[in-house]
Amino acid sequence: MLVDLIQNTLDGLMLGSAYALLALGFTLIFGVLRRANLAYGPAIMLGAYAATWVSLRFHAGFLVLALVTIAGAMLAGAYVERLCFAPHGARQSRSGDAAAIAAMVGSFALWMQLEELATLWLPKHLYSFPPLYDGPPLALGPFTLRVEYLAMLACAAAAGFGLHRLLYRTRFGLAVRAVVDHVDAARLVGINVPRVFMLVFALASALGGLAGYLIVAAHEQVTPMLGMWSTLKGMIAMMLGGLGSLPGAVVGGLALGLIEAHSQWLAGPQYRDLIAYLVLFALLALRPSGLWALARRRPEPAAA
Amino acid sequence: MDEYALGVLTNIGLFSFLALSAYLLLVAGEMSFGQQAFFGVGAYAAGIGTAMWGLPLPVACVVAMALGAAAAWLVGLPTLRLRGLYFAMATLAAAEMFRILFELFHYQRTIDGEPVGPDGTQGFRGIRWVLERGIEQETYLAIVLTVLAAVLVVFAVLERTRLGATVRMVGEDPELAAVLGVNVDRVKLAVAAAAGALAALGGALYAHHNTYIEPRNFDIMLGVHSLAYALIGGLGTAFGPLLGVALDIGLLESTRVFRGYRMIVFGGLVAALLIWRPRGLLDETVVNRIARALRRGSA
Repeated sequence: MLVDLIQNTLDGLMLGSAYALLALGFTLIFGVLRRANLAYGPAIMLGAYAATWVSLRFHAGFLVLALVTIAGAMLAGAYVERLCFAPHGARQSRSGDAAAIAAMVGSFALWMQLEELATLWLPKHLYSFPPLYDGPPLALGPFTLRVEYLAMLACAAAAGFGLHRLLYRTRFGLAVRAVVDHVDAARLVGINVPRVFMLVFALASALGGLAGYLIVAAHEQVTPMLGMWSTLKGMIAMMLGGLGSLPGAVVGGLALGLIEAHSQWLAGPQYRDLIAYLVLFALLALRPSGLWALARRRPEPAAA
Repeated sequence: MDEYALGVLTNIGLFSFLALSAYLLLVAGEMSFGQQAFFGVGAYAAGIGTAMWGLPLPVACVVAMALGAAAAWLVGLPTLRLRGLYFAMATLAAAEMFRILFELFHYQRTIDGEPVGPDGTQGFRGIRWVLERGIEQETYLAIVLTVLAAVLVVFAVLERTRLGATVRMVGEDPELAAVLGVNVDRVKLAVAAAAGALAALGGALYAHHNTYIEPRNFDIMLGVHSLAYALIGGLGTAFGPLLGVALDIGLLESTRVFRGYRMIVFGGLVAALLIWRPRGLLDETVVNRIARALRRGSA
């Protein structure tokens, strides 16, 4: 019983690190642009499909596949940014909600487009994908750990740490924070705001591509569900942790993983999803500022 | 009219209810990812009503609308104070809970030696009230369009009343509305319930057109589509959502020109359209201009 509990907790943390990586990219875009990018998952999916194609054609190694996934996700991300986010003037208070909704619905339209493009390219329902590591899982006493998931946890930690350094220790990070604080003031002191938006978007897409590669390598398969799955899990993790906060994204991802692992073990897959959505709904209704703010006992206003 | 065209037209009519439901909430300033849940509630409720309890379809529709309104009211109560993405995600979570509950919902009764009723993920077969009454497809299309026309008349009348103006004001500036003495929470809750009833009505008619429903029909894709329909058609008039549905289902599916590439064409079209017109084709400005031109014409 205790062994199961600990094993489930470990599994949950591993699964959660994948969600945390997805949520980091989402949070970066939302935190800076104040826009939700629904095409985030499908862009990742396109990258994963490109890597699958490369793997089928050339039997490339894992480093090539990871780079192809990241490059594909960034390319698709750039397309989404140009068509849905650049024209709608992010973060302007005056155009307000209408522009945010237009950008989001636009990104949904591109979701449909990217998904159809990917399935036209590789039309089967399932493609196998080479794993990151072929050997047996690590055994730690009675517990097992899959190497892929350890890599994921390490990447999530590194990405969280690296992003923090980037935002608080570099000139670019300073520009990003200035834009977040006050976009008009940032423009007045000479920051090229559209360029900041574009770079943030590229960074988030690269993170998404990395997450996508690790996820498909861990699952050892690629399906057309990947796009929707990534968007939903990333958004849920982001909302659970607290919208727009980077530590929140990590906390939210890990929390979602833990909730899923334990409820799946207790009640099966249907109830797993039901419980995850129930927790999200209850948290949004009661404490919309999310788990991270709750943990720090600093209530933040729920303004969108 | 051939069967294919009939099917396309009926679908345009049916999904218009859902698009109108999303439109109603957008006008009141809220973006919902979850209207498909109430569409599903309506479909299941009306299906159970006619196929299992032997109710006539109009009665089943009324029951479905009441249940849809109640469900939307319950979801709205704790969430309507949220704004933007918070509300959208809360409604998404609620709608996915409804979909999973449909998957867990088993309630069957043996009728004429056959089990009838919702059977979890296996879906709900045999909603045959329309077939059993010998109602032709043309007639059913006429029924759907008549109900839709009635809904549009209600919208048109409400747009001209104080209530309609209040709803638009709440959508555009809730703080100002509150200062002017409008009870914003109550207006939003009423709008949410009405939108739920509208979606449920569409779902009830949808179930009787398809004769078969399953939980997968009511997933997030349906919800976001209805939101997109409302937005590309335009937020200025209730005809906007209809235009959105007609553009997608009618123009792209029925012409079959872009077969296999439909989403690539539609997706690009929508994104480009939203750059040009962020509040849809028939936005407030266009609607006002048309209304003025009509008035001048009649004067």
